Amino acid sequence: MLYARATIDLASRDVRIEEVPCRNLEDVLGGFGRSFQILAERTVTHAFTPENPLIINTGVLTASNVTTGLRTYFSAYSPLKASDKGLPAAMWSAGSCKFGPKLKWTGLDEVILEGRADAPVYLVIRDSEQGPQIAFEPAGDLLGLTCHEKIMWLRDRYKDAHFAAIGPAGEHYEDCYMASVALSTENQLKSGDDKCRWAGRGGMGAVMGYKRVLAIVAQAPDKIAKLKPEIRDINKAVTSGPGSRKFREKEKGGLGGTWSNYEPLEKFHFVPQNNFRPKGDGKPELMFRDKVQPDFFVKAESCFRCGISCHKNVYEKNADGTKGAFLAKFDYEPVNLLSTNLGIDDPRKAAALISLVDRLGMDNISVGTTVSYVMDYNERHPDAPILNGATFGDFEKARELVEGAGTGRWPEVGRGVKRLSQSLGETGYAMHCKGLEFPAYQPDTNPGYPWAIAGGHMSMATYMAVALEGNTSLDYWATLITTRGLLFVRDDLLGLCKFAGVTADHAVEALKQEAGLEVTTAEMLAAVRRAFVRALWLERRQGYERTEYTLPSEVFDRPNPNLKVPPFVTREFFSELSDRVWSVFDPEIDQMADGVKA
Amino acid sequence: MPKIRFTNLFAERIGGVSSVDVPGATVESSLRALTEQHPVLTPLVWGKDGALNAVMVVFLNDRQLVAAEIGTSVEPGDEIDIVSALEGG
Repeated sequence: MLYARATIDLASRDVRIEEVPCRNLEDVLGGFGRSFQILAERTVTHAFTPENPLIINTGVLTASNVTTGLRTYFSAYSPLKASDKGLPAAMWSAGSCKFGPKLKWTGLDEVILEGRADAPVYLVIRDSEQGPQIAFEPAGDLLGLTCHEKIMWLRDRYKDAHFAAIGPAGEHYEDCYMASVALSTENQLKSGDDKCRWAGRGGMGAVMGYKRVLAIVAQAPDKIAKLKPEIRDINKAVTSGPGSRKFREKEKGGLGGTWSNYEPLEKFHFVPQNNFRPKGDGKPELMFRDKVQPDFFVKAESCFRCGISCHKNVYEKNADGTKGAFLAKFDYEPVNLLSTNLGIDDPRKAAALISLVDRLGMDNISVGTTVSYVMDYNERHPDAPILNGATFGDFEKARELVEGAGTGRWPEVGRGVKRLSQSLGETGYAMHCKGLEFPAYQPDTNPGYPWAIAGGHMSMATYMAVALEGNTSLDYWATLITTRGLLFVRDDLLGLCKFAGVTADHAVEALKQEAGLEVTTAEMLAAVRRAFVRALWLERRQGYERTEYTLPSEVFDRPNPNLKVPPFVTREFFSELSDRVWSVFDPEIDQMADGVKA
Repeated sequence: MPKIRFTNLFAERIGGVSSVDVPGATVESSLRALTEQHPVLTPLVWGKDGALNAVMVVFLNDRQLVAAEIGTSVEPGDEIDIVSALEGG
């Protein structure tokens, strides 16, 4: 099979468009399965060098008729995820909505940005009778605008297009490694509300900022193929079946989205508070959806053609009960990490912080977790606080820190918790692994975090295991990490959203119907596993030592008695688990390395 | 027989099967039959106290049941969904 790639040299403005033969099934499936093979061919010692490519690609089912086939992947060596040797690690970040399909409809499956532009630009990728056309445009008018403002500016100039843009954080890439990439949504373009989707993790927006590419326009008419009955049946099963119930509204037979994680987690006191130190004081209940909803207008909205409607958008409620001004999209992670985990138990303040992070274009997980570290440090050092002296519960100072991170004023925050904690010599309560801040799940309950390859929860499905099954045995954890947990990245190749819960059988059928690809479930999952192992191999190549695959030391040294599970992640447990996990992965990594050499 | 449908969380443990038909006169007995057929699913469906796992939610023909309702009678052809109340994103 062939795929279409544009390689853009930003310095010379040379553009090469070519049909590239797939080397293996990972290349065919796409996403990080392909981009990490490209990254593996490069020697990159710093994220902000011309040698570090930014790869923007799609999955084989992006732009297909399969519901949620909307993913775009941004891959590069990350400024945030870096080994103790200082080498950047390969990273991808994914976002939904219509940019990916529009990119594909220009005729491209992949764009590689090489080098660095000599001045800020935005790129316009157009479909034409002669094939994809790529233009460079000066971006002076976009400088300093928020992500949303950039997208609105572009919307007014490019019809039938979608957009990827960075915000002020990406423009201040040297001081903000956690900058994200915003992707426009249909709802945003029509309503004018700030409703981007995000490729948030790992600082892909910072890499784009380094390259001086402030935005990318993908302009093409929609090219939606006729819906096959087999795909219609799959879509029906996805949107009405159990796999997506969690994300649907209650009146549509769902559970109300990720925001509703608060309730099951709080049963165990697993909702992070005050830098991942749950207190068991019941305060997380203040952010339960049922408690918040009466004071606001909450509307479930969706990505392009998706029937799941997972976006829980919070608006002001007018006096007559109707919808007022848009405030923010509430998902569990940003709500928790920008409110409860900062000691701020107020939905309006949470909305303000989420909105601010979005406008600046940062990863809300990384910035929230870094701010919570600052607050924790200041509580421990009341006589020698850092930065603005923020402590838990201080919304105004939290807001200052977020703004300072996204505008380059406070690189201590913007460069992430790993660097900050190392500079202060207090790493024991810095909630990250390998430089990527933890999402809103307790590390005390997830010894699988270290083996996540691109963020703690979306690339290793172990974050909810203790709440789900309560199994704390070594056998269980070693098996979980090395089998089911890693297969969670399947959809990061295919171009689907994990919220769809597409079954393996449906995925295989979709590949057959939409891509003409005859693969078995076993072949597909073997490709996913190879892609995962390749990522581990790349981490090793970038200098990660086994000692870096660990948890913050306070998990071991300061068990939290408020968690309703006996502390099981002891040093002894983790050491043995580590041995067991590496005994599985090491031979596969060695085999991968041998294959690359050959 | 009622049909029990579930997510990948369950399916990946039993060879990719995403639904099963089970004998059962109630939702609870149907779920018991499921875990008798597939013991590997027991810790997902049932808590250590033998009651429904506190983070699982059960739907009968698209209607969400509270835990106390899992004794509800079922008919052949009824659809029972069991899903986790905990997913990230």
